Amino acid sequence: MDRHQGGETIAITIKTLPKEELFTSGHTACGGCGSPIVVRAAMKILGENTVTYFPACCLLVFGGTYPHNAFKVPYLHVLFENSAVCAAGIKHALNKQGKEDVNVVAFAGDGGTGDIGFQALSGAAERNEDILYICYDNEAYMNTGIQRSGSTPFGAWTTTTPAGTKIGGKELFKKDLPKIMMAHNVPYVATASVGHPADMIRKIEKAKNMKGFRYLQIFAPCPTGWRMDTSKTVEVAKKAVNSGMWTLFEMEDGVVTLNVKPKMEPVDDYLKMQGRFRHLTDEQIKIIQGWAYKKNEMDLKFVEAFSEDKKE
Amino acid sequence: MYEVRFHGRGGQGAVMAAQALASAAFQEGNYAVAFPYFGAERRGAPVMAFTRVDKDKIFSKTLIYEPDYIVVLDDKLCGLVDVSDGLKDSGMAIINSAEKPEDIKLGKAVKCATVDATTVALETLGQPITNSAILGAFAKATGLVSIDSVVEGIMDIFGNRIGERLATKNANAAKAAYEVTQVGTCQGGFECEKADKWLPGYDELPLGLATRPMETPEGLVGPGSFVDNKTGSWKTFAPIYDPDKCIMCRMCWFYCPDGAIKEVGEGDAKTLEFHHEYCKGCGICANECPKDAIKMER
Amino acid sequence: MVKRVVTGNYAAAFAAMLAKVDVIAAYPITPQTFIVEHLSEFVNDGLLDSAFMRCESEHSAMSACVAASATGVRTYTATASQGLALMHEVLFIAGSAHLPVVMPVVNRTVAGPIGIWAEHNDTMPQRDCGWMQVYVEDNQEVMDMTIQAFKIAEDKRVLLPIMVCLDAFILSHTVEPVDFPEQDKVDKFLPPYRPDHAVLDPKDPMIIGSFSPPEYIQEVRYQTDETMRNALEVVEEVNAEWAKEFGRDYGGLIEEYKTDGADAILITLGTVTSTARDIVDEYRAAGKKVGLVKLRFFRPYPTEAIRKVASKCKAIGVYDRAVSFSAGGPSWIEARNALYGYTIPVINVLAGLGGRDVTEPDIRLMFDKVLEAAEKGEAENEIVWIGTRGVKP
Repeated sequence: MDRHQGGETIAITIKTLPKEELFTSGHTACGGCGSPIVVRAAMKILGENTVTYFPACCLLVFGGTYPHNAFKVPYLHVLFENSAVCAAGIKHALNKQGKEDVNVVAFAGDGGTGDIGFQALSGAAERNEDILYICYDNEAYMNTGIQRSGSTPFGAWTTTTPAGTKIGGKELFKKDLPKIMMAHNVPYVATASVGHPADMIRKIEKAKNMKGFRYLQIFAPCPTGWRMDTSKTVEVAKKAVNSGMWTLFEMEDGVVTLNVKPKMEPVDDYLKMQGRFRHLTDEQIKIIQGWAYKKNEMDLKFVEAFSEDKKE
Repeated sequence: MYEVRFHGRGGQGAVMAAQALASAAFQEGNYAVAFPYFGAERRGAPVMAFTRVDKDKIFSKTLIYEPDYIVVLDDKLCGLVDVSDGLKDSGMAIINSAEKPEDIKLGKAVKCATVDATTVALETLGQPITNSAILGAFAKATGLVSIDSVVEGIMDIFGNRIGERLATKNANAAKAAYEVTQVGTCQGGFECEKADKWLPGYDELPLGLATRPMETPEGLVGPGSFVDNKTGSWKTFAPIYDPDKCIMCRMCWFYCPDGAIKEVGEGDAKTLEFHHEYCKGCGICANECPKDAIKMER
Repeated sequence: MVKRVVTGNYAAAFAAMLAKVDVIAAYPITPQTFIVEHLSEFVNDGLLDSAFMRCESEHSAMSACVAASATGVRTYTATASQGLALMHEVLFIAGSAHLPVVMPVVNRTVAGPIGIWAEHNDTMPQRDCGWMQVYVEDNQEVMDMTIQAFKIAEDKRVLLPIMVCLDAFILSHTVEPVDFPEQDKVDKFLPPYRPDHAVLDPKDPMIIGSFSPPEYIQEVRYQTDETMRNALEVVEEVNAEWAKEFGRDYGGLIEEYKTDGADAILITLGTVTSTARDIVDEYRAAGKKVGLVKLRFFRPYPTEAIRKVASKCKAIGVYDRAVSFSAGGPSWIEARNALYGYTIPVINVLAGLGGRDVTEPDIRLMFDKVLEAAEKGEAENEIVWIGTRGVKP
């Protein structure tokens, strides 16, 4: 049974993105922050007929500190770990009032999504709640001051994985949250990156026009937490994809498509741009390179296994 | 007892400066406390930190409203925040500025010390982080702590946070600033454009703070009201745009996290407008421009 | 008028149907599970047109109710014990954002050790969340108060969430005859929820739950405090209207039973009230001057009503089915606070913790202790543990 009805897609491009800002200037994100790039674009695509939800995260604070707010659309925050179910509650309430056409979107960071927020996220996905969930992945708890999350990559310095004399950064690997979400068999799961805007816009628009549970995880660097120059946010995001540190793919009704074939450039360039990897030993860099190769290999097999021609 | 209020921006290390001053005063046998204005400010937003020093144990746990000294880590804050608010007439302002004390304009004419801490920091640290250099100026201008104690305070506080090597560089920044600090008197009578806060009584506040867009005497509140918050003063570097090189690909417009770039005009006359009142100077636009049409300049 | 023999859980579920709730979000937990099951049956049989979110936890169930209520619809959930504890942080949001969620709580002991029987240590710790709490005595009151709860909670002077607290098994799983109010009469009593203060609607954008600096939060606390105090009056009004329309008067904030001429009054809450009525009758017949006050609302706390009671007797005992360790039972602590300046003895009687049955001898002992205090003008022990092995009551 189809779990959603695909809507008509009118392809939006950078040139045709609406000029109106539903997420206004004057917000207080750090200079060069990646998440406002995601949010600005997403709000332009979703439009004013949208209700937004935010957990306790950087975006909650920089997007609005009472009595001021950057969002021109309805805005709700309840708590940290319940974004998906709050968005679902909003959607059901709108439907009960005959407002079925309103988009409901939750924006959340990687910790609020894949760690503390995962139970509510998984539950909402399993129930195929009719919401769009956008995770901006900056690979740590940035709001509380750069602590490691399940999404923090191997070797990265954070304030809870310091570059000590005995242990240098995080000893564990990044949680593969997109695939976990794909395993929920929801209508749409995709990864995106601020470094690949056309792909990101297309995916947000596609997700907007679908029904049922839609999950986007968008790579959004944090210059403050990654200890890098504020001008390099987009450049480093491109390098993440090119080196295989982040894969751009999507699953629509069980069919997986690889959107950008990784060039598998050496990870060194990517790592060297960021202060959070400054302490890495050659051995650690080798481990990360190995992880990237292995991830790429597994991703390609995964895409092959769930490709269109394998669909019965 | 003397009380010091630091004015800085998120990421400039005002809190570490306040702590290092406390540590320096402690080295000289005093009791000292340092604390932030507990906020959630991001990088670049105006922040405050405080230091209290006395011979005996300090019990007060309040913020400092009538400081003896104010320390300003970024002179652009003087136009945004009433930095001399409550400053005692007998007090002193220590300001990071390339100008002479006599050219500084504050709310009141008081003793004033200036130091070009940004240049000192760029020369000694390679970064425009002025929290250590300004402490050298504090030592020189007030004489309340010796520069040797300031160095010890920096080694203690900065050393624990960023390691001995970088702490030593910061100590050197303080020493360099100590040598070039000028002391005089600033001009008074400056009225900063201070926006009054909207502070209605409980019965006029929306129930549970569920708020619609509203025009109040103190400005917009509610959805979309952040447009009143001009974040442009945060920047150290500003984009300089060359329309002749621009091919209107709009990548900078798309990437700008602050929505500070607007498209104006029609047809062939289309061009981009940079709204410096919002631009935080991150430089993504210049970094991503395929035609080198944007340069970042201090 | 239809009378049926049903459980407290059935009454709680049926009341939600009569209230025509828009969004239900729930998670099963003993002994509340039947409420969720009955509502599922109503929805699947087409009797109830509600969105029913079968959530993956109580935390999510309460979150969904809060979000749906903030979107402007009538919401309902039910829980017990650990489920309520898991909801704890979400409860504050409903209270501070003025979202009138209605929630029956089947009072069950909170672990450890894990148990499933009646104790009030689940709801009592929630007293400062900005929720109203009403404790009920029988299944009719479960039905009636669940409907009244919507009316009180949604009153423009209140706009606060409310728990309807019913004792595990003693009500939840016990059948007794209940008069089922007619739908048209309930419709007249309870008009649809049409809020203005909190509605997420793209045609009228609003921010709810914004990150707020200290300049604002203290005023929000005062708003909750004021509306909670407003509820004191609204509870009485709604009770009077219910009595007029449906013929059952619960007394509002408290109910007094044979307090006139009583020297010793016991303040109870929950089902112990019911058994205590029999003991009052028995003691009165024997010439012992005892009376009973059923504390119905714990939040808002009926300070004035309790003072009036105290001014006409010689001693008060307060029954608690929960304890604040080293400090006595929560209901007693509140009563003593209300009675500051009064010189009569006010003692605490604790019994039935962990679901232990509170027997007639237990209740006689409670009255005896209060009578003794009334006679002597003082009490040997202020806090009396009844029926605890190794502890002299």
